[in-house]
Amino acid sequence: MARFLLTRLAAFVLTMFAASIILFIAINVVPGSAARSALGIDATPQAIARFEASRGLDRPLVVQYAEWLRKAVTGDLGTSFQNGVPVGPELLTRIPVTLELALLAFLVANLIAFPLGVMAAARHQGWVDRAFSTLASLLGAVPNFWLATLLVMLFTLWLRWLPPGGYVPLGTDPVANLKLMIMPALSLGLVSSALLLRIMRASMIEVLSRDYIRTAHAKGASEWVTLRRHGLRNATIPYINVAAVEFGFLFGSVVVIEDIFQLPGIGSLVLVGIINRDYPVLMGGALVITLFVLVTNLLVDIAVGFLDPRRAKEGQA
Amino acid sequence: MTTGFNWHRWRLAITGSIIIGIILIAAIFAPWLAPYSPYDLDVAAMLQGPSAAHWLGTDELGRDTLSRLIYAARISMQVAFIAAGVGLVCGTLIGVTAAYFGGLVDLVLMRLMELLFSFPAILLAVVLMASLGTSILNAMIAIGIVFIPGFSRLARAATEVVLREQYVESARAIGMSNTRILFREILPNIIAPLLVEAAVAFSYAILLESALSFLGLGAQPPEPSWGNMLNVGRGFMAQSLMLSLAPGMAIFLTVLGFNFIGDGLRDALDPHMKD
Repeated sequence: MARFLLTRLAAFVLTMFAASIILFIAINVVPGSAARSALGIDATPQAIARFEASRGLDRPLVVQYAEWLRKAVTGDLGTSFQNGVPVGPELLTRIPVTLELALLAFLVANLIAFPLGVMAAARHQGWVDRAFSTLASLLGAVPNFWLATLLVMLFTLWLRWLPPGGYVPLGTDPVANLKLMIMPALSLGLVSSALLLRIMRASMIEVLSRDYIRTAHAKGASEWVTLRRHGLRNATIPYINVAAVEFGFLFGSVVVIEDIFQLPGIGSLVLVGIINRDYPVLMGGALVITLFVLVTNLLVDIAVGFLDPRRAKEGQA
Repeated sequence: MTTGFNWHRWRLAITGSIIIGIILIAAIFAPWLAPYSPYDLDVAAMLQGPSAAHWLGTDELGRDTLSRLIYAARISMQVAFIAAGVGLVCGTLIGVTAAYFGGLVDLVLMRLMELLFSFPAILLAVVLMASLGTSILNAMIAIGIVFIPGFSRLARAATEVVLREQYVESARAIGMSNTRILFREILPNIIAPLLVEAAVAFSYAILLESALSFLGLGAQPPEPSWGNMLNVGRGFMAQSLMLSLAPGMAIFLTVLGFNFIGDGLRDALDPHMKD
């Protein structure tokens, strides 16, 4: 098991390193766009050259990356082109917002997907199954930013229950915080629940058709006991894998949802970085989101390794 | 097994095709179907509700919402087809190359794909838009790149199955060139699963394009797109519900249609699902 953990950890570090290269290339793939964005379209070539020289953008990409990496490993992610604010500390104040949003959304998604998926599978091809499956395909087609708009219409404009957006830290006022977080979390979570519901249903149906379930029934175990003791445990592993991927993707969607609800998280920072072509900000924000995704994958790999040691052995090869 | 057409088996794919067919017709024949120009301003008729003259009302500049919705279908459909096409072609080339040559080529290509796959799609698209610049053409490229890893994985797996077949071995034995084997023997045999994946990619492309345009990174005003219409509608929610409802519904139905086609084809082509 120690070897399994070490190989996974090494793979994680390598992936993170490679991911930073890809992000760096993706951001810098078109030369000069930062200068043109900062100086406007009327900028003279001399002004663009000065801008690039002062920020080191005129050097070869490899040199720029090497310097970025050298500083990044010491925790220095550079300063914003736009306002000179250091990127690292800015990210640290924003991480809790995004993390809370993603966790709440993930909670919403699972609270819906897990029980409904199990119920649908237990009543396979009955009307419950059909109703929940239809619900899943409908939810899966709703764009989360449209759902966000609809929720604001309902809860803010009509019912006047919730504020349209803004942020209060959880530590300052938990109730106000949750009031502001409910709609963003629902917008992300309801849409995510669609895929998870389908996965839970499918893997549960698969498990319930196995021989040991029939044996349990034959022994006279009640339906609930069979479901819980034999079905759930075996159907959960594929579910966890997909849920982890979905959790990672939630971090991508925060770019859209944080903007709608004016949440000061990583996602809204990434968007500001893009609109201003503020490379250090964009790079830092995108890297944090990638880090969240990769850490999630790592933790799930390890968790599944413990739940199913055969997998851990395969993973070593 | 019945010899006649099995409606039950194909109903999902057919329902999806009908939805997408209607939207495609709207996109292709937009100039004839739209009651007004999508760009004509009418300050006397700003933010109106649905009426006989404007079925879905007007926007904040007095433009006809239905006409803009119909024209926006053009953009969404173009993006979906081109982006999925970019993903399909590049992904297939990479996947087939990896499987065919194996060894180091396979290792390097597939590791790279795995890496791209680990970025959330929307993040990758958004970051690419930042450097490519905000335009609808760049949105197609960015979304296409996002699809490459998915197609390449699928193409690689399908190619590995085909490579074990005897006809590939005999093609090699008679001295057929690599390119000929790829195009004559392998591609025709892996295309079916890739096309099912393409249907899923279409629906995802519609979602991604509208998200990018919603954020102001895709189609640029005054060009109508469902995403940027929704973004504008958000600012006038109290005055006009239709500005937020109509474009969202259009995205929803299109995505649903493509999902139905994808799921329907998968079920219908999957031998385990025969009833």
